[in-house]
Amino acid sequence: MTDIYKLIHPVKYFNDYVSRQVRPDGREFHEQRNIKLNVNSIKSADASAVVKCGNTTVVCGIKLELATPKAEEPDLGFVVTNIELPPLCSSKYRPGPPSDNAQVTSNLVSDIIINSKCIDLKDLCIASDKLAWVLYCDMVCMDNDGGLVDACLIALMASLKTLSLPTVTYDSETEEITVDTSVTTKLNVHGLPVATSFAMYTQEQRNIILADPSSYEEDMCGGLGANLIICYNKGFICGSQKFGGSNLTTECERKAHKIAKGRAQIVEEVINVCLKNYQNEPNQ
Amino acid sequence: MPLDYRRFNGPEDSVSYKRFTKDYLKSYDELYKELLDDNGVRKDGRALSEARSMCMFFARTDMVSQAKGSAYVELRKTKVVCSVFDPREIPHQNEFSQLGQIFCEVKFAPFSCPRRRRPHAPDAEEKALSVALRKALEPTVCRHLFPNYQVDVFIYILEHDGACLSAAINAAGLALADAAVPMYDIVTACSVAIVGDRLFVDPTEAEEHVATISPETNSNHGVITMSMLSELKQISDFTLIGSMDTECVNTAMDILEKECETLVPQIQKILVTNVVKSFEQRQRLEEEANDREQALNIKMEEWRKLLNAG
Amino acid sequence: MAGLLLSPTEKVFIVHGVQEDYRSDGRSNIDYRPMELETDVVSHASGSARLRLANTDILVGVKTEIDVPSPENPDLGKIEFFVDCSANATPEFEGRGGEQLAIGISNLMQRAYHSSQAFNLKQLCIFESKQCWKLYVDILILECGGNLCDAVSLAVKAALFNTRIPFVKAALMDGGNVDLQLSDDPYDSKLLDVGSAPLQVTLCKIGDKCVVDPSAEEESCSVISVIVGITGNSSCFSEDNSSPDTGGKFTTIDMNGPGSVAPKTLKDAINQGRVAAKLLDKSLGEALLRERQESVKLKKYSYGFLK
Repeated sequence: MTDIYKLIHPVKYFNDYVSRQVRPDGREFHEQRNIKLNVNSIKSADASAVVKCGNTTVVCGIKLELATPKAEEPDLGFVVTNIELPPLCSSKYRPGPPSDNAQVTSNLVSDIIINSKCIDLKDLCIASDKLAWVLYCDMVCMDNDGGLVDACLIALMASLKTLSLPTVTYDSETEEITVDTSVTTKLNVHGLPVATSFAMYTQEQRNIILADPSSYEEDMCGGLGANLIICYNKGFICGSQKFGGSNLTTECERKAHKIAKGRAQIVEEVINVCLKNYQNEPNQ
Repeated sequence: MPLDYRRFNGPEDSVSYKRFTKDYLKSYDELYKELLDDNGVRKDGRALSEARSMCMFFARTDMVSQAKGSAYVELRKTKVVCSVFDPREIPHQNEFSQLGQIFCEVKFAPFSCPRRRRPHAPDAEEKALSVALRKALEPTVCRHLFPNYQVDVFIYILEHDGACLSAAINAAGLALADAAVPMYDIVTACSVAIVGDRLFVDPTEAEEHVATISPETNSNHGVITMSMLSELKQISDFTLIGSMDTECVNTAMDILEKECETLVPQIQKILVTNVVKSFEQRQRLEEEANDREQALNIKMEEWRKLLNAG
Repeated sequence: MAGLLLSPTEKVFIVHGVQEDYRSDGRSNIDYRPMELETDVVSHASGSARLRLANTDILVGVKTEIDVPSPENPDLGKIEFFVDCSANATPEFEGRGGEQLAIGISNLMQRAYHSSQAFNLKQLCIFESKQCWKLYVDILILECGGNLCDAVSLAVKAALFNTRIPFVKAALMDGGNVDLQLSDDPYDSKLLDVGSAPLQVTLCKIGDKCVVDPSAEEESCSVISVIVGITGNSSCFSEDNSSPDTGGKFTTIDMNGPGSVAPKTLKDAINQGRVAAKLLDKSLGEALLRERQESVKLKKYSYGFLK
């Protein structure tokens, strides 16, 4: 019965819920979904993580490669982050080159990673002007049910935190490269940016912000993806983006920041617990 | 190759660090020796004729919430996700097609292969796998029931450790059933790698790698994947690569036929569990709804009495 | 084969004929239609061949180039197939219609030539891990009259047989780089060993039996065909008949079409394909050797003072 109602009157259906101070999946407005995290489940990648925020599933895998640094930046390595939204994650996407949505999300995550300076690119340089690491970080969405950026960032940070680099020796005279995989060093990760998505909805002059929206809620709030994304890094704001949606009152903004700050702490704890469990495992 | 402006690209000359490790270039004999230990047991502890089990814990349906039907299959390290979407009209087509079509796309994750990083753009192997998957599924789906429409089947390979195509076919069969697409029979698939006189059932990536390298001698080598409709005793697709004699093909076919049959009850079990689960959930929801309605009715009665009374 | 409509009775007639191993045009189930083969038709290619089988017309050109071998296989050369379906070949190829088919055929060829038992890439090696020959096999489908795979594999084998690779006269090592000097006399070149190159046989399932080289009428009676690639017999392609019989191994088996087959039928089909391929390979070898002998007679002798 409710399925049909939802199909015929999608807006009214959503309005009915919101006017009763509850969301269609039974959450309250500020409530976020459960986060499940697992690291290093994919052995073919050099580091990997799988994260589930409610239904949204993102897999991140990192492949390591070696290259010569750019001539203008001889001491810097590379971090290449891409988000893949394959057609299987939602009926919105078609096979072929990345959609606009995928490109925007890719840009957003890459900006957050660069701006938060969580990886010092100098750490990735092996021999100046000769050899540096390239970190290919690919985040693949398996199931897009809203809050994509949040999940991507969690997966990326968790896999970066488990990444260790093999030892490379570079002979500057013979230009010979030898790699020893038995001795590895952990990559230094500074800080931990955590994004929180919000959907903004206006009902009878009332502004409502929905934390961690599902894909249905995002659609109802008229956006491709979330309307507002706030990113916190260790208690400091490191990014805030607003895409369309209704006007945002200062009061709502304050509320959103409070939720985002709280969520950043929770996520940090989730990642830390997960990493600790992983390191304590006897047979990694 | 033109630069891809829609993604972030790394430096052009980057190469995997594995190329500079000591054991990058191993001889054929070394690789072959590594596959089996002294007792003829494979590296992961299986016997030569033992397939990786696809029991309940490693295969499930209803994986992607946004899709009509979906499945996940895990064979030790090989991990495959499949989702199936509602039929839609065949795009860019002028003529009416009597039979419905199946559109398949197989994609490897960039980090899925242990030896190299996969490019983002679809390569020849992915295209070949997509075609093979479509051919395997076409005979099993009742395509006359949705003329001029196509069903999309998407496969994403998260990790590749051999037998990708057979895992993809098994996953697609599960996902199609989960999406309630009418089918004639359950489709199952299995692979075998042939190295000399040894047959590795359900090979790992290392075994497939050795099987595709041509040995110096004139011995058999290659990989065969076969998909079957076991109840109907029909082969829906057969793919062979390598070089082998008739005798070898025949033995491999007999083994694959048997393996495909043993998979059927496992797939049936997964599907039945799925149906039972969703049925139970629906029942529970209905019961809850009934309870709520009854409570409401009682309240209504009370109010009516109050109204009538006063 | 669009536009070809057969009545059920006509179909039954064809099916019964196939059952009796006697087809409507008088062939047996493993007989090919007569074909015309011509080699060395494109003067700018290293090797070329043109094949006409019924209405199917195929032109194959082989181009050679120097390339760097892949790091995984430093001692192997490279071979690449490219199929182009001309828009004139059949109305279905207009626009991008032929693309799918072209990719399918080139994939199939690549797989058939994958094993070194089919085509040894070591003969294309010039300098281990530094330089090797890369063969570009361009397949042009001029007209499509069915049975493409078989015709393509025949034409490719003939073109490779015809391919001449210039000898390397000198090689200079300059640091890590190799500088090659190639012989510029077109007759000072080596031929490739292609005796074991695979031929592909398409077996069209009609009733319970399979036929090779189906006519358009026969094709419309069938829902599935099995394509087998079978290595050739080197002794058929060399002038001394002393070398032992080899070949007859499967390098690829594939199925084409929306239907399915029973395991027994598939086994019979691949056996039948092997027999058919053997006969085909033998007659191809004879034809190619005959043509080569004729061209040897025409070989120019150098005259003049500067000899």
